[in-house]
Parts: sequence; structure tokens; C-alpha cells
Amino acid sequence: MFRYQSLDEDCTLEEEEEEGLVEEEDEIDQFNDDTFGAGAIADDDWQEEHKRLSGLEEQKNSARGGAGTVGGASGDAGHLPSTSSLPLPQHSSQPPPGLGEQGGGDLADALARLILGADPAIARACGPAGPGDRSRGLPAPPSVPQQHHPQAHPHQLPLAGLPPGPPHPSLLSYQQHQHLLRRGGPPMQQVNSHNIWESNMGFGPVSVTPGLVTHMEDNPLLSIIKEVGLPSRPPPMMSEDGRDLSERVPPPRSSSPVIGSPPVRAVPIGTPPKQPMSHAMNHHHQQQVHHPTAVHIRAPVHHRYPPPFPERLSPNTLLNIANSPLCRPPFSAGVGPVLSQLQRAQMLNSQVAGFPRGCQGPPMLPGGGGFRPFFGQPPPHRMGPHPGGPPPNHNHVACPVIRHNTTHLHPQHRRILTQRMQSRGGDRGGRVGDRRSRDPYSNLMTQREKDWVAKIQMMQLQSTDPYLDDYYYQNYFEKMEKKQERDRDSIRKEHTTKLITPQVAKLEHTYRPVQFAGSLGKLTVSSVNNPRKMIDAVVTSRTDDEEKREKQVWNKRRQILYTVEKMYSLLLEVQDFEKRFLLTPEEQREALLEQHKTQTLQLYGSLKEKEWDDRVSDEQCLMIMSVRKGKRLISRLLPFLPQPHAAAVVMGIARNLPTLAKKDRQDQVLCWLVEPVAAVVSSLSSSALTDLLQELQGSDGQLSRVLQNKFGVTLLYLILSEGERMQSSDPNCQLMDDNRWTELVFSVTRELLNVAPSSLAPPLFTPPNLLSLFSRYVDRQRLEQLQEKLQISALSR
Amino acid sequence: MNYMPGTASLIEDIDKKHLVLLRDGRTLIGFLRSIDQFANLVLQQTVERIHVGKKYGDLPRGIFIVRGENVVLLGEIDLEKECETSLQQVCIEDILEEQRLQQHTRLEAEKAKHLALKERGLAMPRTDIMDEY
Repeated sequence: MFRYQSLDEDCTLEEEEEEGLVEEEDEIDQFNDDTFGAGAIADDDWQEEHKRLSGLEEQKNSARGGAGTVGGASGDAGHLPSTSSLPLPQHSSQPPPGLGEQGGGDLADALARLILGADPAIARACGPAGPGDRSRGLPAPPSVPQQHHPQAHPHQLPLAGLPPGPPHPSLLSYQQHQHLLRRGGPPMQQVNSHNIWESNMGFGPVSVTPGLVTHMEDNPLLSIIKEVGLPSRPPPMMSEDGRDLSERVPPPRSSSPVIGSPPVRAVPIGTPPKQPMSHAMNHHHQQQVHHPTAVHIRAPVHHRYPPPFPERLSPNTLLNIANSPLCRPPFSAGVGPVLSQLQRAQMLNSQVAGFPRGCQGPPMLPGGGGFRPFFGQPPPHRMGPHPGGPPPNHNHVACPVIRHNTTHLHPQHRRILTQRMQSRGGDRGGRVGDRRSRDPYSNLMTQREKDWVAKIQMMQLQSTDPYLDDYYYQNYFEKMEKKQERDRDSIRKEHTTKLITPQVAKLEHTYRPVQFAGSLGKLTVSSVNNPRKMIDAVVTSRTDDEEKREKQVWNKRRQILYTVEKMYSLLLEVQDFEKRFLLTPEEQREALLEQHKTQTLQLYGSLKEKEWDDRVSDEQCLMIMSVRKGKRLISRLLPFLPQPHAAAVVMGIARNLPTLAKKDRQDQVLCWLVEPVAAVVSSLSSSALTDLLQELQGSDGQLSRVLQNKFGVTLLYLILSEGERMQSSDPNCQLMDDNRWTELVFSVTRELLNVAPSSLAPPLFTPPNLLSLFSRYVDRQRLEQLQEKLQISALSR
Repeated sequence: MNYMPGTASLIEDIDKKHLVLLRDGRTLIGFLRSIDQFANLVLQQTVERIHVGKKYGDLPRGIFIVRGENVVLLGEIDLEKECETSLQQVCIEDILEEQRLQQHTRLEAEKAKHLALKERGLAMPRTDIMDEY
């Protein structure tokens, strides 16, 4: 058991000293008082109290007069003597319990009614009864005190004046918990601050419409407040134009906890206005439709000042609660008038909780004081029924407004996108808009946050060269533009003159590591660009002999590859010549041609012998052809070389064929050369052909080696077939002029006959006219043998 | 065609009722309230819908925050067409029972298949014990 005596020793309470030895109960009471206020003392039975209150309410309803004034409101205070004994909690740390306590149950009750006045449950309870049942339309079950005092709940049910209604508890527990858990917090927290009551007092009689005032006077709570009176509050003026300039004076800062974070005063550059006019118009219209008699709290205006706290806490959620009944199926249209009433209450509440939007008042102040300027400001302006409804919720119409600073879309595109969005939104706006207005949780994500997400995505699209980075988008957009041009000819023409793609200037970020002066070596500061310690790479030369040799080998290979690469780049230029030729305008074509010629020469130049122009350097050729890539290079190169050069190359190949064959054993890619070589061979002159054949048979045993290689055999056959073709087609050919050809062919045939079938490599293809060639030179028997050889080679292997 | 790249296209889907299919096969239906650049979703008034055959059942779940990488697909629900479904809604217990039966039959089939393969000398690794790669 908690010993208050011990607490006595620790605390320095005056009461304790005064009273000396105190009984525990007294001390408890005293502590309670300090904590909860004098109202914490449970004098009466709360049930009795409650019944009395409800009875009073009934009386009030029957005896209610017309439009109330301040006096009227205070007059009602007399009905509630019991509650007057409840002083306002001054600086209570736990107001709800205090309010919800036995004696304060009524206060909580009334408070709950005030706050929950707009609740769907209540509205439903009173149903289509109309505004006349306003006060009755506020059945007891509050869920806020319900949270703290479950026992309070049952006692609400046997209210005399309650119509037998739909299940409040369940409905309330769901809906109200939902709403009030989020919204109930702030008002309740602020309950302990007498600023709230002040403000309620302040604008209550002044700023509300007559109807609302009547409602106010029903409210016992406010009447209590009026009765009790609040010091330091300038008497609210009741003027016709409704301007209460005293409201503009920022009141002293409340001690209540600030809901949400402190207000951001500075509007970041480029922040779009929170509430574009388009939305305003929509909401304007919406509210008109649904709440014809609603009080217009404030005109939707461009918000100029940033909200003092996150939007989601206040306006939308608060106001949408009023609208939320509409989204529940059971509601009938007759709810309208009641809701308007509720909205007025809502207005109160929302202003209690703070209302940042659309106010043209003085700049916001932090904390509870910051809310103040809004209180007086909007309501005085709206005396009398205005069209419109509760402050617009910030449900956006379908289109996210596209900000110029957040997107890097093509400006034209942005326009089109906006249009599209708007049209889409317009189509849906009619039916979705009102649905949106009922959605209490809409706009949890503020426009700023949406823009932020969009910005992140857009930033990734920044590019210095859009045609390189985003080829497809550019093409798509061009097509779109052209299509639009076709569709709307005259209108669009002026817009599609120049394609200006937004480009980000390329910033050269040369990264230099941070260096500290006077330090030895490079101390690195890790950053996002440089996450690891940098190693000082120092070049050291190795002096080993073996390594040198190994290096030499590698060097040579590297050199070969390097040569091949250089030649390749030349070759690619030569190959692309034709494409470029077509693209260049007339004047530049000749220059291009010249360039092409030089390049081709260069290519050959790298192959040929130093001094002899018509002979390919063996060394060079071998070097290049030793590499697979080199062979490929030659095969691609040959078609581009002019005739004498190409012939020389082929000669070189033929000459070095055995070596090449040996080197190619691993790769077996010599056959790439077949096609281009065949092309060259077919263009050779007879003398050249003879030369070629001679080259092929050049050294001793070369031919046999040639025959062992696929490419060699193919080449040989090609040459022979070409010769035959020449002979057979052109009777004047000079092939037979000297004996060389014949001799060479003879040697070939000899070799062919001698060679074992197994060692004869199968050619890629066997030209058909070889047999006729051989038939000229050899007798029948040998011919048959040759035939066999030819056939075996080609087909079997 | 929407040209807001990537997640930004979800911006216009905010505050609308969506159906989200997750990688683990669950179907969630809720109001999309918030997104971020990873397409993490905040769904409100979420209902997990279990489909078995022609029937379905709803499990109310409240607020869901879904990590973006676990979303297979999501789509807006047309509130008017939502009523025109040919599926039959049953209560939660029934649908869970149906689901259990379905799982059961599937497992049985799987086991039978596995056994048959084993008899033939093929050992297929069971997907539920295999690591996900």
C-alpha cells in the first residue's frame, strides 16, 4: 500500500505542514485535488447526477427558445447547478480522468457531446428527425471518456431522452474509436488548457450562425464555461459584419502540448501552394451539393502559410468526419440538415484542434497559440449562411499537379500529361469527387510527399544526352508529336517548332581525395564517393631475366594484338564508308572519298613489305595471321582491297600456308578466309593465277602439307577450278601460253595421286569442273583414281 | 499512357481501393494511402481475401505496410464493378476450411508424385524444403 506518510516526508506540501498529523484520507483527497482539481471529489452519485442532467436536457428541449444570444446561452447555465461546482481543471496532467470522474462525468459527458456532436452514430441516432432534435441528437455514449472509464459507458445507455436507437455502442466503438483515436487526442489534450475554453467562448457567440449558437446554448459545457467565466479574455464583440478584431491578437501561449511538430515557417522555394484553386472550386461545389444549409467556414483560398502541424491531423480528418456519414450506406439523404448542424459543431472542433488552411490571417504562431488566429478569423467572415461547406478537404482531383521544378519532362510533354490527367480527372471527378470527400483518411500523403516521390523518380531521368540515354522515350515523344500535328493541324503548329529537351548541364566532378596538410602520405576520408582506403600504387620494375623473357613473349603477342586492333579500327572506318557516304551532303562526299582511299591504303600498307608494293610482308602476314582475330581481320579486309593488293595478300597467304596451317591447328579458323579468297581468286588474271598456284607449291613438300589442310585443299581446288573455267570459257585465255600452268597442274595431279586418302583433307567444297580439268592432262586410269580421291575427300569425311 | 516513371505512377492511385497480390500468394484489398520510392505501400482497411475455387472469404486485417519488393502486382478496384463478381462470398471459417482442404489435397498429390518418382529412381527435391534462389 502506498504510504502517504512516507510521501509526506519527501514532499514539502503546505497542507501537510499546516495540518500536521493528517489522516490518510485527507491527504489522498488533497493530492487528488492538486492533481485533478476539486472536481475529483466524488460528492454525489454519478448516476444520479447523470439522470438529473438528462432530465434537464429534456426540459431544455421543450422550453427552448429561438435564436440565442450570449445571454441565452448563459441563461442555460442555471439549469445545471451541479456542474457549476466543477471548476475547470487548471493544469491537470490527466484531464480526461478528471473529467470522467464521478462528479466530472457530466462534464465529460457534455464535452463528449460537444466533440462527438458530429459523429455518425449520433447523427444516425437522431436520424431524419431533423435539426429539431439537435440536442437529443447528441446521445450520451461518448467514446472518449469511454476509453478511460469503461464504466461510464453503461450509464449512458439508460438515458431518459434517448430514442431507442440503433446500436450505438458497436457503431461508436468502431467509428468513433477510429475517428477519435486520431482526433480525439488533440481536443482532449487541449481540454486542460483554458485557452481552448477561452477560444470556444471567444468565437462561440460571435462567429457562429444563429443556428449554431442555439446549438451552443444547448451545450451545457459551454454554458458552464460562460458561467465560470474566463479571465483575461476580451469580451467578444457581437457585430454584424462579424469582425472580431480582438481575435487577431495572439493570445498567450498555452501550456498545452503542441500537437505535431512545430510549424515550419519557411516555405521552401518552389513549394507549390497546398491548395490550388481548382480543388477549391470542386470542394465548393461539393459542399453545395451535399450540405445546402451548411455554414461556410471559410472560402477555399490559396494557402499562403505553411500549416503549423501536419495536415493529416486536422482539417481533413476532422471535417471528413462530418462527411463520413454519407459514405455509410444506411444514411439517407435526409441526413443533410442534421449534418449541417454537425458541421457547425465540427467547425468548432476543428478550430479547437487547429486549422491551418486557407486563412488569410496573420502568420501562424507556434503551439496552441498558433491556432488562434484562425479561430476568430474565418468565422466572423461568415456570418450568415454562405454557400459552401466545411473547409475543403484536400482530396485531390485525379491529377497530381505537375511541378516544374520536380520533373524533367519535356515541356510539351508536361503539358500533354497535365491535359490528360485533367481530362481523366474530369471524367471521374463527378462521381469520385464526392466519394473522396467522404473519405476520412484521404490525403494522408500530402502533395509535398507525392512530389518528393515523383522528384526522386525524375532525378533518375536527368541526362546530359537524352538521345543517348533515353532513345526510346525520345522517339516515342517524337511520334506522339507528329501524331498530334496530324490530328490538330493548325492549332499545334506553333508549338512544335523546336524540340527543346530539358537537359541538365553536365557537371564535372573530378574527385580529389581529401588531403590533410602536413601529413605523411594520403590520409583518406571515407565518403560516399570514396568508401575505401585508397592504395598508393607505385610502379616497380622487375628485373628478373626469366620474367623478361616471359615478358617478351607476352609483349610480342600484345604487339600483335595491338596491331590487329589498330587495323580493325581502320577497317571499320572503311566498312562504314558507304553508310557515311550516303549521309554526307554532296560537297563533303569527295573529301570522304579521299579519306576512304587513304584508309584503304593504310590498311594495305600495314601488311605489305617495306619497299615492295606488290608483295605482302611475310613476317607481317604471319604475325597477324597467327592470331585468330588477325585471320578474321584479313578475311574482312580482303573485299575492300583493290585488286592488285588483294592478290598480293592472297599470294602471301598461299606462300605461307603451311606455317599458317600449323599455327591454325588449334583454332581451325582458316576457313573463314575461304570466301573472300575465293572471290579474289575468281578475279585473278591467268598469269596471276598461275603465280598463285606456283606460290602454293613453292617449297618442297609444301603441296603435301597443303593437301593435309582443309583450307589448303580448298584453295587448291579453287585455283584449279578457276583455271579450268578460264580455259573452258575463254578460248583465248593465256593460261596455256606458257607451260607453267600445265606443269603445275601435273605436279598437283601427281601429288594427288600419291597422297594417301587418309591424309587428304576434305575440302569445304569440291568444284565440279576439276574432273574436266584433270581429264585434259591425265589418262583415263589416273583420272579415275583422281576422281576417287576427289569424291572420297569431299563426301566421306 | 502514364509517363511518370516508376513508382511515381502510383501517386495517382493514392486513396483508391486496390487489390494487391503478394509474392507469397496472398491477396490484399485495401485503400492505398501512401507510397514511397520503393513502392512500399500503406494499405488501410485491408482485407485479406482467400480464394478457393469459386468461393472467397475476407479476413479483415486493418492497416498493412507492404514492402515494395514483395508486391507482384496491384490494380485499382472499380468500386462499381466490384459488386458484379461471379464469385460467392462465404464466411471466414468456411473459407479457411476450404483452404485447408485444398492445401491438404495438394500436399497429398505432391507426396504421391514424390513417391512415384522415388520408385522410379528419380529424386526430385521438394520445393518447400528447397532454398529459394
